[in-house]
Order: sequence, then structure tokens, then C-alpha cells
Amino acid sequence: MQVERIPSTFADLNVVLKERLGRLGHFTSIDGSQLIALILYPHEGKASLLEIPLEGANSYHSLTPHHAQLHWFERATYDMFGILPEGHPRFKHIYMHDPYEENFFPLRRVHLPENFQSPIKRHFSFLEVKGEGVYELPVGPIHAGIIEPGHFRFSCYGETIVNLEIQLGYVHRGVEKRLTEVALPRMHFIAEAVASDTAAANALAHAEAIESMLEIAVSERSKYLRSMALEIERLAMHIIDVGGIATDIGLLGISSTMGRLRGKALGLGDMLAGSRFLRGFIVPGGVRAAGRSLSNFKSQITILRHELKEPLNMFLDNQMALERMREIGVLKNSLCREFGMVGPAARASGEAYDTRQHFPHGAYPAMAPPVVTAKDGDILAREMVRIKEIWSTLDTLDRLIDNLPEGQTQMEVPDKLPANKIGLGVVEAFRGELVHLVLSGPKGEVLRYAIKHPSFNNWTALAIAIRNNLIADFPLCNKSFSLSYSGNDL
Amino acid sequence: MLDLLSYLIKQGVATSKELCPDLPEGVRGLPKLTEAACKNKDGTDCNLCAEACPTDAITIFKEDERGKVSLDLGSCIGCGMCVEVCPTGTIVNNPSTRTAVKKRQDLVLSNFNLDIPAPIVPSINPLFRRSVAARVVSTGCSACDMELGAAGNPIFDIERFGITVVASPRFADVLVVTGPVSKGMQAALKSCHEAMSAPRSIIALGTCAISGGVHKGGYADACGVENLLPVSVYIPGCPPHPWSIIYGMLLAMESGTLSKLSSKQAKSKANT
Repeated sequence: MQVERIPSTFADLNVVLKERLGRLGHFTSIDGSQLIALILYPHEGKASLLEIPLEGANSYHSLTPHHAQLHWFERATYDMFGILPEGHPRFKHIYMHDPYEENFFPLRRVHLPENFQSPIKRHFSFLEVKGEGVYELPVGPIHAGIIEPGHFRFSCYGETIVNLEIQLGYVHRGVEKRLTEVALPRMHFIAEAVASDTAAANALAHAEAIESMLEIAVSERSKYLRSMALEIERLAMHIIDVGGIATDIGLLGISSTMGRLRGKALGLGDMLAGSRFLRGFIVPGGVRAAGRSLSNFKSQITILRHELKEPLNMFLDNQMALERMREIGVLKNSLCREFGMVGPAARASGEAYDTRQHFPHGAYPAMAPPVVTAKDGDILAREMVRIKEIWSTLDTLDRLIDNLPEGQTQMEVPDKLPANKIGLGVVEAFRGELVHLVLSGPKGEVLRYAIKHPSFNNWTALAIAIRNNLIADFPLCNKSFSLSYSGNDL
Repeated sequence: MLDLLSYLIKQGVATSKELCPDLPEGVRGLPKLTEAACKNKDGTDCNLCAEACPTDAITIFKEDERGKVSLDLGSCIGCGMCVEVCPTGTIVNNPSTRTAVKKRQDLVLSNFNLDIPAPIVPSINPLFRRSVAARVVSTGCSACDMELGAAGNPIFDIERFGITVVASPRFADVLVVTGPVSKGMQAALKSCHEAMSAPRSIIALGTCAISGGVHKGGYADACGVENLLPVSVYIPGCPPHPWSIIYGMLLAMESGTLSKLSSKQAKSKANT
């Protein structure tokens, strides 16, 4: 996608955010001497990059007190660039904790001011809730099951959660920096390993960004095949996420059926890409076809649709399951808007935002399914959105395979980027809006590769939604948001 | 409840009877090397695979006349780029899911010594031959975790081999590590290992855990588990197929099932 670069000021950004002229797609810096805010305009399908120079300064007045959605963005920008948001209400590190040296800011290219001393410690200080009967419950970073690491600090009164603070960053691998160091043909392997449950979406966002810089348009067939990959990923993950909820409720029959049916969805990936996780399929310039016949594809979808019907109906008919989900972990629409939530979590709170409708990627918006929303914002609403999206995804896959155009799937791509360009990929991953923003320098080198994973927006939603709920409901609530640790930690 | 029971009975048994079968045609596994000489027809050197490899897993030794190439599966992410570009058929796709090994050097393949006799590893933990409790620590992108999770689904059913995933290191026999173990997780991983009672062993699951994979070389020090703790089984792949994971776990247990697998393999080879 093309991006307009606009020299700007804090006042401009304030107006854009206050008047909701556009959505905040990303907020970061390029090399430490400026701030950039990516503003997405869904209704026009456009984007602009507001560039605010810091003019040698190393700090600015934090915008978080007025715009809560910048809360994590400002902390992340400090971690990567050392730019201080003065007056940030909960200023602490987000990616880089104890093992890193003081004053180490990996993406900063301009010098730090002399005698600079970080005002915060690497060691994470949790918000303390005081009062008689309030106790703290630390969980993680290593969790009980087979999931990624993160630390949750619950402050509870009896069984009720008063506050939850989430410390992430344990799987920070320095992906954004690596992406500026390697040659173009190697980049997409790193980009899709950001979070492999979102491999197809990450690969697509990367490919869209790189192609917009090179100003090449891929063939119609490639676009359709890319959308198919994205939808297969959504299908597989939505199925296993519903299965995960069933596991936590204790409906093991349904959860093991969902595990088996996810295998079938992954089999579609095998058929399309020769890889269960659709790895190495979407590349800049098109797709790498696996060379397998897609003649069985449609019948497999029909079988899957048929097989999903019964367990999903049983799940939604089960009174015990409904009781565990209804009116628990409620995320209000107002808070959802204030914090800029995305994806099924936002749609379950009434936000009708699906980037497939607005921004061109793959075969969208032409082949985009209608937006699925719900009102209540509780666990049940999120699962209803997920289940409805399973059906709409199956329909979309049907339409894509029916209308799959003939043609080439791969075209020549130069092995170097053009100078001073901006590339943008906005993709609806199964968790929501995923952004890859690439800026090249005067020699065609990558100056900045910025990734905004949907979970980065939504982790805060979990902390908000779980307040005043029972500690026993946390696993279910957590699962209903289906958040990625590695996508957030980069 | 009755609905669910009757539904489940109607479903029948989904569990695969064949153990660790080859991947179906067209599905990418890890690459392997063949006897075909690694030289262009006119005798010049070919460097295509080494150039295409995103993780520098391939080394070409130019001095040899036949053309020597070595391939480190511990760094390989199975992208299949080398197989695509190889003009001589020296590197081909390996559909086998039995790729786990006990020694790091066994992951380094070469085309000049194809028949390395499988090293006989002395039995360390005959205790775990029938069952093993595994603690899983994830430090990566979650693909390996999901494939390990999938290994527990009704199709693969890892628990029938006596392998269970447990919630605490206190009652774990093996520590399964996924991901490149970047700085943020090193302290937590070490303390998890310390909390386990002996005898204990460590399985490096996936290319990241073995060598850092695509993340190797950054400031986050993400270069695998081996720099911190001794590894006893390596399961290569990015991510490894659930069957590869099951094979690796059986290898760690030195399970009797393994000998059944290899005798079956020998029989099917004799038949063909």
C-alpha cells in the first residue's frame, strides 16, 4: 500500500486522534531523532505517515494521558529508541528487562545525550494494590501447559481479581533489528517467524509492503492463492481457539474433536503450500506453488463444513459452557474504542472493523466476507464471532477456489529495495489488524522495519476485561482473546 | 451429555495405526543429500543452494573434484529453497519424519560420507523406557508448541506411548525446550531445569532450540538451548511434524517402540 509521508507536529497528531480522523496503525520512530505515527483511513483505504521531528531533543510530553491507546506504543518506543515520554502514567519497560544493559536501545542510530541516565530500572515494578485482604498472585513466565511465556501479576481480594498487570518481553528476539540487517531475499523467512501461528498473515503483510516499495503488482492468481492461505490460517486457528475454550470448560470430547478437525484445516495448508503452517508460501512477487493439485480442495472444504456443524452446535447448546462464558470478561465498546482494540475481540464488542473490507491485500476487498460482529463483549460474544467467522471463512474459501484465475504465480523481484521509499502492508490476520511498515534509506538499505501485531493492541483488553471477575475465570477469558506473546514481543 | 457420547462413538477411532510414516507426496520435509555429484555438468562449481539458504546451513567445499557439500539440519528451517535450485539432484526433499538424533554432529549431513553407521548410544535412562513426564518451556514463535500440542490430538495421540506433559518441573523427567532461548528466557529456563530432580534430560525441539534458526546473530543472544544446558535429543524442523516430535520423544525414552519401528522399516525395505 502507498503511504503519504507528512511532516507534522504533536498538535496535528492530537487532533487526528481526538477527532478520530483515522485509526492509529503504529507509533514509533525511525532512528531516534523523530516520532512517526501511521494513520490508517479505513473508509478511504488510505494511509499516511505523520513525522514529528524531535529537533535534537530526547523527550516529549507523553500523549498517553489523553490518548490511552498510546500507552504501550510509547513504552515500546522508549525501549527501542530511548525517547522519553515525559509524564507517562505507567512508564516501564515492555520488551527489555533485567538481562539487558542500562542505556541499551537497539534501534537508536543517533547519539544519546551526554550523561543520559534511564529514569526507570530494567527490573519490572508491578502496580501494588494495598488494603486488608488483598494478596498478589504471580503466574509465569513459564505456564502450566504448552504455551508461550509471559508473567501475570494478579492482585486479588478473595477470589475476585482487583487488578491484573501483564509483563511481557520474555520472547523478545530482536526481530525488527534483524530485518534491517539481512538481504532482501532472506527477509521474509524472518518476517513470517515473528509469530508462526500467524505465518501466512505476516508473510502477506511483508510481501505487500515490499511490493509497494518496488511498485510491482502480482498476478490475480497469486492474489487469490494468498487469500486462500490467509483464510486457511484463520480457519485452523479459530477452530483450535474454540477447542481451547472447550478444553478449559472441561468439554474434552469437543476439544479433542476440534483438535482433529484443525488437523484437516492444516491439511488444506499442506495441499496448497506443502507446509502445515503455510511457511515459505507467500513471498514478494507472488507465491511459491507446491505443485500439488487443488482438485480435492473444494470437497475437503465441504467435508470440513459438514464435520464442524455437529460439534459446534453441541458446544453452543451446552448449558454449562454457556454459563461459563456469558457476562464474563466483558469488554465495553467505549473502552474498546479508547484503547484501539482490533480483530474478533473488538468485533465482539461492537466495533465493525475488519481490514479485509478496507485495505487491499490478497484478493480483498473484492472477495471480503461481510463483517461479523456481536454486542455483548463477553467471552460468549467473542466465541460467537469466532464461530461465525469459521463459517464465513469456509464460504470465502469456496468462493476463492471457484473463481481462482489462471496465470503465473511468481514474478521476478529485484534483490535490492529502491532508495527512500515507504512500504506498508495491512492485513487482517486471524487476531486482527497486522501492520508491517518498511522505510528504506538513500542507498536502498532498510532504515526501519516496524511490525505491529494485533496482540500488541489487545493485551491491554485482557487486563481490562478480567477486572472484578473471578480468578477461576481467567484461563477462559485469556483464551477467548487468543493473544500472541511472540507477535507482541518481536 | 448423551448427545456428545453418541457423537463420539459415531466418530470411531481417528488415531493413526501407522507410526511415524513418511510425509505425503508434495509436502515439504527436511532436505537430504544424495550421491549425485555436486558439480555443474561442465565441471564448474555450483553455489546455488548455499546462496539460497536463509540460515547458512549449507557449506560447499570447492577443493574436491566430486564436489562436496555439507548440510546442517540443526540450522535448516526446511524452506526447500535448496531443493528448488539444485540442478544436480544432490539435495532432495526427505519425506521421513524420523529425523531426531542424539548427537549434534549427526545432524550435519554430507554427500561424501552418506553411510554413517548409526552410532550406538549407551543407554542412559532405562528408567524412562515405558513412560516419561515432560515439562515444556516455550521461548519462541509458538509453531513448535502448536505441533507438540497437535501431537496430543486424537490422530497422533502421544499419550499412548507413555508420554505426558506435566505442569511442574518438580515431577518432570525431561525438559522440552522450543524456541531460540533469547536473553529474556534464559534465567527462567535455568531455574526450571534446577527445579527438576535427577535423572533429567533435555530435548531441543525445533531448529530454533538447536541453533537459533532464523534468529541467530542478533543482540538478543537467541542461539539455542545448548549454550546454556546440555541437550540429549535434537528434533530438527521448523516446526517439526508431530510424528517427528513423537519419534524424538521415543528416542529420548529409548522406548521399545523404536525397535518395532526400525524392524518394520527393514521389512518394508526388504519387500520393495
